[in-house]
Amino acid sequence: MYRLQSIRKCYGSNVALDIEELTIVRGRLYTLTGANGAGKSTLLSLLAFLAPPTSGEIFYAGKRVDWNHGSVEGYRRKVTLLHQSPYLFGGSVHDNVAFGLKVRGIRGEERRWRIDEALEAVGLQGFRDRMSRELSGGEAQRVAMARALALNPEVLLLDEPLANIDRETTGLLETVIAALPARGTTVVMTTHDPEHPGRRNGESIHLEGGRNVLQSLR
Amino acid sequence: MIGGLSPDVFDAVRTSLSVAAGATVFAALLGIPLGLLVGLSEFPLKRLVVTLFNTLMAVPTVVVGLFVYGFLSRQGPLGILGLLFTPTAIVIGGTLLAAPIVANYALASVRGADSRIVPTTLTLGAGRFRAVATLAGEIRFGILAAVIAGFGRVVSEVGVAMMLGGNIRGYTRTMTTAIALETSKGEFAFGMALGIVLMLVALVVNLFLNLLQRR
Repeated sequence: MYRLQSIRKCYGSNVALDIEELTIVRGRLYTLTGANGAGKSTLLSLLAFLAPPTSGEIFYAGKRVDWNHGSVEGYRRKVTLLHQSPYLFGGSVHDNVAFGLKVRGIRGEERRWRIDEALEAVGLQGFRDRMSRELSGGEAQRVAMARALALNPEVLLLDEPLANIDRETTGLLETVIAALPARGTTVVMTTHDPEHPGRRNGESIHLEGGRNVLQSLR
Repeated sequence: MIGGLSPDVFDAVRTSLSVAAGATVFAALLGIPLGLLVGLSEFPLKRLVVTLFNTLMAVPTVVVGLFVYGFLSRQGPLGILGLLFTPTAIVIGGTLLAAPIVANYALASVRGADSRIVPTTLTLGAGRFRAVATLAGEIRFGILAAVIAGFGRVVSEVGVAMMLGGNIRGYTRTMTTAIALETSKGEFAFGMALGIVLMLVALVVNLFLNLLQRR
């Protein structure tokens, strides 16, 4: 899915990421680990095509990524990044989940069933018309997950998706995430939890000081 | 006192509101995109541009009036258009007065906006234009405040209206120029009545803003 070659991302004189080689295979679940400041979020933003590397090349589905605006928007529509504390737009849950579908020109019946299906997957049936600002933290996290799932992305990038949420929501989202590779979705998620199932069942990428020091394949 | 207002007063109120509305529309069309653009971009002279915005906010209205007068007077480069001493000239001057205020308020709204908004729209597949439009929607109350502040600046100023409008009765006489005129004639009570009307306009505009914010 991805191949990163000689990637460096610098902020001023600070090297946030320095990866010689990294390969991410389609339809697998990767856990991305490392201490705070190890470069996890920087790597995710590169994989989400939100920021270009300072140097080096990223290949996606075998093609070298061209970072000019016209091209990179096409890549962004295949990948979705979900933050640890996601931003929900003002308006209803429906408005939020519909956002990416509208951007893609998906309308009518297809948009409706995709929204319903995504909300059902995260256990939020009946939340369509609730206002986003009235949701609890766990509910907001689930809406953000539904918003990502509705797009059926090729790659789902998750930045600490299970932090700061209740046990019930954690269990539900873990189940949803674990089912994604079987649907062909590649998942890369950061976690601090050594017991996270993804670290046992999936593959892991470990960063230290911006460098990829371990990529274990099972 | 207000109950006995003459048709001249209504003309002044109408002229004030119409030129202020016109100038506010043009100032919004200029200032909002400019504020969003500067707020969202990083470029080498950004600090200088922000300082320029702040400076332009504080420019005395007579200086703006003088500047536009130079362009619109018979000998000026745009003198051939015959716009001096027309409501259009006041709109032009008002636009130049209000645009920096609108731009500054819009810029402040962008700076105060949640930093996750734009990345969220981008990762959901939005293009740059859509991302900026979504951001503008999320900070709409700040943008609205920018527009209202621009309107307040134009409707309450005297210098531009006097220099570019000429205070022509029933044509370019605004509430503020009428107040100045009536007071200079010793008609203090009449000027005071117009002042109260002007304050009522400001009150209505702010009540409207509050109403929108509650929604």
